[in-house]
Amino acid sequence: MDINDEILDKFRLKLRTKVRYHVGVACPDLEDLVHETLVRFLRFAKEDRIRNPDNVGAFLNGVCNNVILEYRRRLWREEPYEPEFREDRRATAPDAELMEVRQAIEIGLAQLSHRDRAILRSFYLEERSKKEICEVLGLTDPQFRVTLFRAKERFRTIYRESLKQRAAGNH
Amino acid sequence: MPFHDEPLLQEELIVKYLQRRLDAATTEAFESHYLMCDQCFEELRASQLLAECLSQSRIDRRYSGEIAILQFTTPVQLTRRAAELSALSQSILEQKDTNVLIDLSRVSRIDSAGLGLLMSCYSHVIKNRKALKLLNPSRDVRELLHVTKIDVVLETYDDEQKALRSFEHS
Repeated sequence: MDINDEILDKFRLKLRTKVRYHVGVACPDLEDLVHETLVRFLRFAKEDRIRNPDNVGAFLNGVCNNVILEYRRRLWREEPYEPEFREDRRATAPDAELMEVRQAIEIGLAQLSHRDRAILRSFYLEERSKKEICEVLGLTDPQFRVTLFRAKERFRTIYRESLKQRAAGNH
Repeated sequence: MPFHDEPLLQEELIVKYLQRRLDAATTEAFESHYLMCDQCFEELRASQLLAECLSQSRIDRRYSGEIAILQFTTPVQLTRRAAELSALSQSILEQKDTNVLIDLSRVSRIDSAGLGLLMSCYSHVIKNRKALKLLNPSRDVRELLHVTKIDVVLETYDDEQKALRSFEHS
């Protein structure tokens, strides 16, 4: 597998999402964990130790899982809780991510009707199935799908825009 | 595992992933997949933004001087699978130069993930040399904070004015 800068940037972005999912957005070591995963992965790639090149995703995921596991073990070994005052270890609040969310709130919510918001909240936040939502709100299957995928399209556009802005900011 | 078969099934899988309702093997398979699949990752991020956006709208933020007061607008549970957990965290991470008071009056339940998040947020605020305090926890939540001894670290108040005044001495 040829790993160029573009692929590495994609891996970094995706790993950030995965690591944040597992250790939480407030984790101060999030970027370190992503970086450590990439370093190990590149080392394996360089030494030609990725046994199944057709399944690089699973390999990278495994490396990342190990990094997260080691991190958790290290935390358990350390003192239970001691507020740190070192300036260099502030919790990461990636500005680009926050900007994405703010944009999503401003643009996305303004475009949603009350009914659409109720449908989306039921589906995304309240763990209700499509069947339940349709029954409660008196919707047909096509009405549900249209609302869901129209909203998704808006947020997909927001996400793509934020990627473009990030790419422009990096250059 | 077929991730691209039907858009609604794909969306249901993503929602279950975001709500941590997938079993370990499916989570593993999905993560391995999206690390290589740009389309699925884009779908995941769009859904994540949508869910965060919907949960953010459930958190009301007002200011009293240099103190940000965060309050849920609807009854919530701060549990491992709740989207509000991430939304609350984002809201606190955005408060870089202000003290934070979280009104827990509409929080009916907190689990270990919720407690962990409160402590992470506390740690973040302390690193910024500010303070984070709690307001109006329910009886059950207050008991949990006491049993876990978190109330020793996180000051808890029943009266908003008293809580706001306490920041003057922090």
